[in-house]
Amino acid sequence: MGCLVQKRDLMQFSHIPKTVALLSSLVLLVAVPWIASDYFVMMCIRVMYFGMLTLSLCFLAGELGVVSLMQASFFGISGYFIAILQTRYQIPFPIPPLVGIGVAVSFAALTGLLVIRARGIYFLMLTLVLGQLVWALASQWASVTRGDSGITDIFAPVIFGISTEKSKSAFYLFELFFFCGVIYFLAALKRSPFGLMLRGVRDSEGRMAMLGYPVSLLRYLAFIFAAFVASIGGVFFAYFTGLINPHSVSLTTNVETLLAGILGGIQTLFGAILGTAILKILDLVLSGITQRYLLIMGILFLITIMFAPKGAAGALKRLWDSVASRTLGSGGPVRGASDDPFYEDTK
Amino acid sequence: MSLLVIMSLFNGLTLAALLFITASGLTLSFSLMRVVNLTHGAFYMAGGFIGVSVIKVSGSWLLAMLAGGSVMAVIALLEEKFLLRWARGNDLIETLISLSVAIIIGDLVLVIWGGYPKTIEIPAMLSGVWTIPVIDMVYPIFRIFMLGLAILIIVALWLFLKKTNLGITIRAGVDNFEMVSTLGINVRRLFTIVFCLSGFLAGVSGVVGGTFMMLVVGEDWRILTLTLIVIIIGGMGSLGGTIAGALITGLIYSFATAYIPEFSLFILFLPVAITLSIRPHGLFGAKA
Amino acid sequence: MKRKNWVVAITVVFFFIGAAAGHAMAVDEIRIGTIGPTTGWATIFGQGCLNGIKLALDEYNNEFNGVPIKVFSEDTKADVEVMRTKLDTLKTRDNVHLIIGPSLGHEGMAAVDWGARNPEVPMLIGYSAPEDITMRKATDSVIRPGWTGAQVIFNFGQYCAKDLGYKKIIIVGQDYSYPWDQAAGFIRGFLENGGEKVERIWHPVEAVDFSSIMAKLMNMSKEYDAVLNNSGGAQVVGFFKQWKQFGLDKVYPQILGQANVPIVSMLSELGDSALGVYSSLHYYDGNPSEANRKFRESFKKKYGHYPDVIAVQGYDAVHVAFKAMKAINGQVDDPKKFITALRQVKMSVDESPRGPFYFDKYANPVQNIYIKKVVKKDGRLMNEAVKTYEEVSQFGPYADMADKYMAAPATTRDYPPGDKISYFKEIEKYFGKGYVEKLKKNNGWVD
Repeated sequence: MGCLVQKRDLMQFSHIPKTVALLSSLVLLVAVPWIASDYFVMMCIRVMYFGMLTLSLCFLAGELGVVSLMQASFFGISGYFIAILQTRYQIPFPIPPLVGIGVAVSFAALTGLLVIRARGIYFLMLTLVLGQLVWALASQWASVTRGDSGITDIFAPVIFGISTEKSKSAFYLFELFFFCGVIYFLAALKRSPFGLMLRGVRDSEGRMAMLGYPVSLLRYLAFIFAAFVASIGGVFFAYFTGLINPHSVSLTTNVETLLAGILGGIQTLFGAILGTAILKILDLVLSGITQRYLLIMGILFLITIMFAPKGAAGALKRLWDSVASRTLGSGGPVRGASDDPFYEDTK
Repeated sequence: MSLLVIMSLFNGLTLAALLFITASGLTLSFSLMRVVNLTHGAFYMAGGFIGVSVIKVSGSWLLAMLAGGSVMAVIALLEEKFLLRWARGNDLIETLISLSVAIIIGDLVLVIWGGYPKTIEIPAMLSGVWTIPVIDMVYPIFRIFMLGLAILIIVALWLFLKKTNLGITIRAGVDNFEMVSTLGINVRRLFTIVFCLSGFLAGVSGVVGGTFMMLVVGEDWRILTLTLIVIIIGGMGSLGGTIAGALITGLIYSFATAYIPEFSLFILFLPVAITLSIRPHGLFGAKA
Repeated sequence: MKRKNWVVAITVVFFFIGAAAGHAMAVDEIRIGTIGPTTGWATIFGQGCLNGIKLALDEYNNEFNGVPIKVFSEDTKADVEVMRTKLDTLKTRDNVHLIIGPSLGHEGMAAVDWGARNPEVPMLIGYSAPEDITMRKATDSVIRPGWTGAQVIFNFGQYCAKDLGYKKIIIVGQDYSYPWDQAAGFIRGFLENGGEKVERIWHPVEAVDFSSIMAKLMNMSKEYDAVLNNSGGAQVVGFFKQWKQFGLDKVYPQILGQANVPIVSMLSELGDSALGVYSSLHYYDGNPSEANRKFRESFKKKYGHYPDVIAVQGYDAVHVAFKAMKAINGQVDDPKKFITALRQVKMSVDESPRGPFYFDKYANPVQNIYIKKVVKKDGRLMNEAVKTYEEVSQFGPYADMADKYMAAPATTRDYPPGDKISYFKEIEKYFGKGYVEKLKKNNGWVD
């Protein structure tokens, strides 16, 4: 994977326990609907569901070193099933999202068989074409998906008696719960022996195979886990937008997801979220000023790949490290092998 | 009804010709540089639009084709020299760079030529229909010309790769990259030449495609997807594979559009999935 | 220590961005938001409308009674999710008094959804044509000074059957809801006025090659009388091209066009192959009225090329808004008043380039529908009207049975049926035997 994998950092450790840090950020996140504007809450909701899509791409890129251009397929499949089951058959919550996620994961199980044998560029090309296959199906199977018009009138569910359709804050909290769950899940995976094995496959597949690890199975499972995460994002996308159409599984969406990942830092979970936030904010800021949004995105993409391959997260970390090493000196224990998978790219 | 079958056959063959012309450049750049040049679709589109402008000014279709090809060759040169070379050795980064260049070119095309669709007039010499003897069917001359052009390119590429020194070196480079470098051959320059050639072919195919159908913003991604399908089915880096892939794709698309047009797009992707499950490296691809 | 600070720092930064985004705006100005696809493949639909809006605002010097008008232009990128966000942006961040847009069909459907949930911001729909926006999903705050897909084509079907004498027609179109709507409206007009059969051939929105369809059309030429091209944009160019390539112009009369086929921006690319093409719309560029002449010339002066119907939508929307503002003396901060005034606007033949129109109770215009033909005048291709149907509502000939029309199944790619027998069975079921009797007696619709 060449440039995208950095050499090992020596990390200073923190004085304050991790739990306090986590708890305080959690409190702040939960408090957002009360301290920020309605508009800000909406942005957070969007960043979260797109963030889950980006997380799924970054998980594969970070752990397996492969770039998948079909994660949006899983994102959209769960959305479509929610749309069809709710609007056409009036099946009540929570069955539609469960079915949606189930189908998306099953589809991943199916396509996984096709893609696990691929490496590097070939994997990228394959997933591009498979993603397009899903898009073609969504676009052409009009009797089921209503084609390019999409399916409208998807209503968000009522949770514990509160309508997430009517209350943005309720929707935000509903989504936040699962979003944190997804992050916890991915972080746990990264930290686990499974994650270690994945990274082993990423760095030296031949050696792993020689040592007797089930390389294909590992890749297969990682692929399925990533699809799972993307499909959860799709659930919230469908509920918040209220409609689904082939655009959500299109090449454009897949490329934008990749863009978000690259901008933020494709190997870390934090990078995925940061990149998504940057992309979505830039979108809003730029659209009022210029029509050359795509041009600017393309150039940004290019610059980031060439000069900041670890994305904004990497740049922030470098900045932080340089400040930290100057103020705290070079003493102190060295970070252990299990770096925090949220902020650090694990090696 | 059998007329429909015969027509679909011809349609498939001529579509395959266009697909081959378009895919040939991509397969060339991949076979040596192992870079999937995602800018390929943008080269097609930009080359086509340049052809539109050239033909408006000069009225010469041939000139338009050459102009489209040459300008794209130059842009390919710049891309290779300043961007891709920088990332040499890392396939993924090169691919991502080519993706970003594709996005940039795509928007520039929109700025320069606008969002309205454009088309290139078929040159008078090639327009009209021809009654094919024996089967007594009328068929557009231009499409038959495309078939001829594809065959010409196939022969030219075959000769180039098999008979010329440069070609032989390129094939050696495909098979054994390190060895070729140690022989003192300037592999760098080879890359640049190949990349330029692939850009040229892409630009030419853009003009041909714009004459065959039309050009519009968004065409770049459509063509890229189609080209990738052709190459995945046929196998990367193999000329014969690209021909096979183009034939399969063209014929399936034509028959599907004739009989079940609503699903024609989906049908296009099915052969890819099937090929992959049976032969992951394509029909003629070598195991990498 | 570091990590916690880091997280806090970033969160605080975001918080400030978010908080700043909701800052209060000045009171003494009128804020209009425009929304549509101004980048990407659908640029012409968004940009065209925006050009019309800006032209109209120029006529008013960008002010109303001395109060300055501020325009906030948002881009949807043809993506509904983005559009929803931008609509929220226009409402909560920019505090607009009025939204003009969007342009695409699926955008419009999502916009009316948003309008129902945000009734305090009146919305003037731009180019979006799905009928449900002002039928089954109509909501108070959403007004459409535009058109529906079926509205402009009912009479075209009638014209083709009665005036052109066709009996069997093939419709080749892009497979999504807008062409479905157009086909449906055409079929109703055609079959109820003497036509016998309509065969629909659908292809992907982004078809690569029409050659197989051309082969099919060639095959069917002995049985069918004409072909209607039911697509828009680049697909039209490709279709016309291959139509000629395969020599279909020798076996069929001129192509019939859907609304988006012979619009001004298409004519320059289609060239002479568009001569003689019939189509129908609520606007035609060859209209000799003073309002149209003024509109076209000032547009050409400002933008360097002639406008098409997309720009008319934006232009008319602004004029409608101004008429309403005049009626309520500029009190745009009272949404209820503004909305009521908007719905009551009537435009005369001198005020709109399309002709006179007023809103029906669902806030869609009742307007003229022109059957037009492409001709060459002074070396330039343009549309001329060959027949005008006046005061046509979105329900077309079913205006006095609107409820029955809406109770009938919604249009899909196969509904309503294209052959006479099945079709009549359907309308007997939903419109009643009395309606069918009336049709038989009058030999179709009463002109």
